Amino acid sequence: MTDSDFVYVIYIATTPEKLWQAITDGDFTEKYFFGRKVQSEWNEGSEVIYLRENDELDVYGKVLKSEPPHLLSFTWFHADEQPQREKPSRVTFEITPLGETVKLTLKHEDVAEGDIVEDNGTFFGLNNGWPAILSNLKSLLETGNTLPAVHV
Amino acid sequence: MTNSTFIYVTYIATTPEKLWEALTNSDFTEKYFFGTKIESDWRVGSKVTYSREGKVTDYGEILKYEPPKLLSFTWTYEGDKTEREEPTRVTFELKPMGETVKLTLKHENLVTTDIVEEDDTFEGFNNGWPAILSNLKTLLETNETLPPISL
Repeated sequence: MTDSDFVYVIYIATTPEKLWQAITDGDFTEKYFFGRKVQSEWNEGSEVIYLRENDELDVYGKVLKSEPPHLLSFTWFHADEQPQREKPSRVTFEITPLGETVKLTLKHEDVAEGDIVEDNGTFFGLNNGWPAILSNLKSLLETGNTLPAVHV
Repeated sequence: MTNSTFIYVTYIATTPEKLWEALTNSDFTEKYFFGTKIESDWRVGSKVTYSREGKVTDYGEILKYEPPKLLSFTWTYEGDKTEREEPTRVTFELKPMGETVKLTLKHENLVTTDIVEEDDTFEGFNNGWPAILSNLKTLLETNETLPPISL
């Protein structure tokens, strides 16, 4: 892991199964993930895609590891990035139950310069996007509501 | 000696005033901040302490106090034997975004041993803060803290 790789830990009052579903089901992601619907069969080697609300392709990759409900890892390409980079970045969700709380560790590794954005008044950049997405996911699972501020 | 910063951002459905109170009021901190009570008279230059069962666990000096937007103080944990040129520094920035507040926690002037690689512990600022701030968010949004965790 390089120094600029991004790690975000969040504790959520939920179950590993509910959290796994929220991460892997497009009906859920659409609510908290800036309107993105995720689609995949979620087997090793399966394609993963995130679609915008207008069905345009936003992000795509391939599943590296899928061990429900504890570990999910896939590569991450931005469809808009041209030319496509040779080495994609890699997203990993680690789900650890701790009593009735679940610890979620998000790692976004093999990032390139430019993936991390200095300016913190934006949702662009992995360091800005993920805390908003995961805060929204936590609110959704714990309260049934998402945060008005975290939207496209 | 390396000098690094730990940053943690979370978004909370609350108001800046409520979040400010939760950060600075001991009845609140006792609930979400590993059972510690915060105390200070909240003037720049004043001492701030976190205590558990009457014993100080962490302390510092107020650097900035601008409710409900900015709070900054030095941070030393009781019993710290690490050689440091200067104490670490904690800053809370509260940014209202409609009915959400963006809370940015920065913990600066960290040395290598302040960050702990192992993740099955609350030791290390990188392990402690996410647990504290997750608990704070749950408390403000649901009026209850997270179910107790033992590692």
